[in-house]
Amino acid sequence: MMDIEPQKRRAPSMVWPIAIGLGTAMLAGGFAGYNQSAAENGDAVLAPWIGPVVAILIGGLALAYYVRRYADWFRNWSPRKRLYWVSLTLSCALGFVAAMVMQSGTSGPEGLFSNAAMTPTVAIGLSVMWVVGLTIALVLYHRTVDDHERRAYHLGGLAGFYAFVFPCPVWWVLWRADLAPPVEAMPLFALSLAANALFYFWFKFR
Amino acid sequence: MNNQLKVLRAMRNWSQAELADRLDVSRQAVNAIETGKYDPSLPLAFKLARLFAMPIEEIFDDGHEGQDDGH
Repeated sequence: MMDIEPQKRRAPSMVWPIAIGLGTAMLAGGFAGYNQSAAENGDAVLAPWIGPVVAILIGGLALAYYVRRYADWFRNWSPRKRLYWVSLTLSCALGFVAAMVMQSGTSGPEGLFSNAAMTPTVAIGLSVMWVVGLTIALVLYHRTVDDHERRAYHLGGLAGFYAFVFPCPVWWVLWRADLAPPVEAMPLFALSLAANALFYFWFKFR
Repeated sequence: MNNQLKVLRAMRNWSQAELADRLDVSRQAVNAIETGKYDPSLPLAFKLARLFAMPIEEIFDDGHEGQDDGH
């Protein structure tokens, strides 16, 4: 039986995917800046989803060109590895679009976690995109993740769970005694996510 | 758990990335196993054993050799 030799050629530079990611974010930021200045001048603004979608499309095309240029190298990836990176790219794109849409029209990162009013169309669009997109990405991820990363993912998930179940009831009882402001979901979500990311990255890359 | 992975890999002049490709896992997984920060699952241990054509107990050592005889 012939053993398939793993690819010995040097991997293509990671500079380009990073540059494409940054360029995509800057392009979306440009659209957001345009909308902000248009709103300040009382002019008509673009729909909040246009900037992120155009940026993602152009970024996607650039990424497709990069993959095509190094097709020989990528072709040697196993099916598992290919699907794994598809799931990660899809998750990043979802997070990017959601963040850009939520931040559109605000003047800083506070837009991501603010409770400011949102139009029903944007809210429903974001919810559907999050649930459907994340489900697809996670199914792909869990089918392709390797042993070691699965452990890091599980430990990160446990840390995220504890970062919710410890502070949540404490905050709640403190609020009932009028010692704390009302319980809010978003700070707990952010704390849980931060704990999850911290433990996941530690066990994956230490 | 101690293991001979680094030695076996060096004998074949493979990089961690090459071994990872042969096992279809990430390079971080190979590094974590080599440095003893992670013990592989049974399926991955069998995969390693098949790749190096050696019994699992010759690759991995849990430090209890001969102590499990008769329970």
